[in-house]
Amino acid sequence: MQAHIISLLVENNPGVLTRMSGMFTQRGINITSLTVSPCEKEGLSRMTVAIEGSESELEMVRKQLSNLIEVVKVVDLKESEAIIRDLCLLKVHAKDSEARSEVMQLAESYGAKILDAVLDSVTLELTEEPKKIDRFVDLMRHFGVKQLFRTGVTAIGIGAGTGVGVEK
Amino acid sequence: MAKQKLSGAEIVVEELKTEGAEVAFGIPGGALLDLYDVLYKEEAIRHILMRHEQCAAHAADGYARVSGKAGVCIATSGPGATNLVTGLANANMDSSPVVALTGQVPTSVIGSNAFQESSTFTITMPITKHNFLVKRTEDLPKVIHNAFYIANTGRKGVVLVDLPTDILAGEAKVDLHPKETFAGYKPNIKPNQVQIKRVVETLANAERPLILAGGGVISADAAVELRHLADFLGAPVVTTLMGKGAIPENHPFCLGMAGMHGQLYANRAINECDALLALGTRFSDRTTGWQLDQFAPDATLIHVDIDTAEINKNMQVDIPIVGDVKLALSGILKLLEKKRAKKSGSEWEKRIKKMHSACDSCVEEISREGASVSDILIKEISRILDDDAIVTTEVGQCQMFAAHYYMTKKPRTFISSGGLGTMGFGFPAAIGAKIAAPDKQVVDIAGDGSFLMTCQDMATCVENDIPVVVCLFDNRYLGMVRQFQELFFDKKYAQTGLGITPDFVKLAEAFGCYGERVEKPEDLKDALNNAFKSGKPAVLDMIVGKEDKVLPMIPPGGSITRMIGTERCKRI
Repeated sequence: MQAHIISLLVENNPGVLTRMSGMFTQRGINITSLTVSPCEKEGLSRMTVAIEGSESELEMVRKQLSNLIEVVKVVDLKESEAIIRDLCLLKVHAKDSEARSEVMQLAESYGAKILDAVLDSVTLELTEEPKKIDRFVDLMRHFGVKQLFRTGVTAIGIGAGTGVGVEK
Repeated sequence: MAKQKLSGAEIVVEELKTEGAEVAFGIPGGALLDLYDVLYKEEAIRHILMRHEQCAAHAADGYARVSGKAGVCIATSGPGATNLVTGLANANMDSSPVVALTGQVPTSVIGSNAFQESSTFTITMPITKHNFLVKRTEDLPKVIHNAFYIANTGRKGVVLVDLPTDILAGEAKVDLHPKETFAGYKPNIKPNQVQIKRVVETLANAERPLILAGGGVISADAAVELRHLADFLGAPVVTTLMGKGAIPENHPFCLGMAGMHGQLYANRAINECDALLALGTRFSDRTTGWQLDQFAPDATLIHVDIDTAEINKNMQVDIPIVGDVKLALSGILKLLEKKRAKKSGSEWEKRIKKMHSACDSCVEEISREGASVSDILIKEISRILDDDAIVTTEVGQCQMFAAHYYMTKKPRTFISSGGLGTMGFGFPAAIGAKIAAPDKQVVDIAGDGSFLMTCQDMATCVENDIPVVVCLFDNRYLGMVRQFQELFFDKKYAQTGLGITPDFVKLAEAFGCYGERVEKPEDLKDALNNAFKSGKPAVLDMIVGKEDKVLPMIPPGGSITRMIGTERCKRI
């Protein structure tokens, strides 16, 4: 099992999300995160899907995705060739002023923004690589994480190119 | 052309005509009143009123497989649409071009559990190549055109268009007959020339080349090219179930169907070949057996398929070609002819001739070597029917008897449910086949279990004068499952005995069909003649051995190298 990121360019039609996710469901592949948003071309959306699976499963699902009528392009983004980001919002428990300042210090060292602070909690935002966020969240668990929200990964190929992929 | 103001239903019918739809199989309903109101006046489209929506889909499927044109079926919202599902899944699995139109509740109440509402769009998503839920009347010209375009191009398949009543009733000013525009659908049909060169290199140097022809050969109308290549290479041809008819089965290079219920020597040839050219097939487990390392172990595997997703899906291949089989075969032939002269008289060719005659004589002599009644009946049917007769099959033993012993001579004349294995398919598919080819004999090779699933459409045949003949293998069992219980579950026949079954002759007569009981194989010829002469749809109730078995076979989980029940096969 390996983590993979698939970036899809799809027509922005109702049902396209169901159609796409159905492909994974039919193959018993679990989607670990999914983001959908408009992109540079009108009428098209970009989906970034993180999945876990073997190389062969990935190859099959990639081909089957590109068979979907509304899928314009499928790119298999490799970690080494992509910039990958996840946005995390979390509310951390701060039982006293000492804990609060410690949380704020650690947040600063990770480059997290402090969005809100009240007597017994601090709300933070961190946009980073997923692994770094994982580490940060683990650290914050020490103080007590009251709420955690993550957008799921979005990713872009490095350099001028668009990454290794299937242009239909 | 100036924009025309038309109702949604009028647009649908106009576009159907433009797409060349001459016939539609369907059942109306509340959500389709507007559409049927237009069809009522329309003379260019013949509507066949079916008695169950599943049959409408199977008939459209059968029509498509015989004619090569997309078949059209129509069903109303809710239960009409859900009844279509099996038929659509079946057509899509076998890459048969079908366009389904379904009624839907008005857009204003979609999602409210309105009367006869089902989410047809989401239900049919995984069993169609594509589907549409139309939300604006002005979108209809494009949607209907795109539906046919998608169904008919690339790897063919099913496209469903869900039509809410207000969209059909509403009016819009539209341009009819638009051109297709897709952001992301470019069916890849031209094979890569570099790959073709690699294939030619391999085939030219192969000592024991073999061609495995799948349904893609028939779908691409590439039977002529296939024969040329086989002749030129001196290469034998084996087929899949879907590929039956890609080459005449009495051709000296044809070894018949390979796989689980295939011919012993078709499977042997796969074992022995050193280059395997697989054409338009997906290497289903029914063809390869379950131990893939024992499938063509010594061969360079070449795979030509129009669907990229089939490459390396079930079998890892050495040389893939993505593209239309017909184009690929012409490309291969052209280069090969330049490269070397026609090969003949090789050791391999001699071996193939022996294999061919071993299979052939096994089939010919079957009536003398302790064969079952079922075996003999299929041979009889094969002998009696015209060369261009169309045979459809139900699913199970009857299907595999037919696949094994029926000698198919032309493409598009053996119509069977390959991928989904749908009992009840053969009879409605025969209806579609007869509409597509009214001058040909159309025979459904049926089992009593399967036939009872869709036999109500005898009413359709009688009403619309569609004289198909059902040759019913009557063993009062769900025979294939019973066979498996006999062979692999200590003869515990759990729920496979059908007990008291109807008197099929009387049943046929009750519908207004011709019915006759065939007690002995030697009576079949007269019975078939009587059936054809009656000019009516007919049911021949053929009494077969209750425990007849389809043999030889590869046991489930087994390898293509080890068939069981080969005692009757000739040794060479």
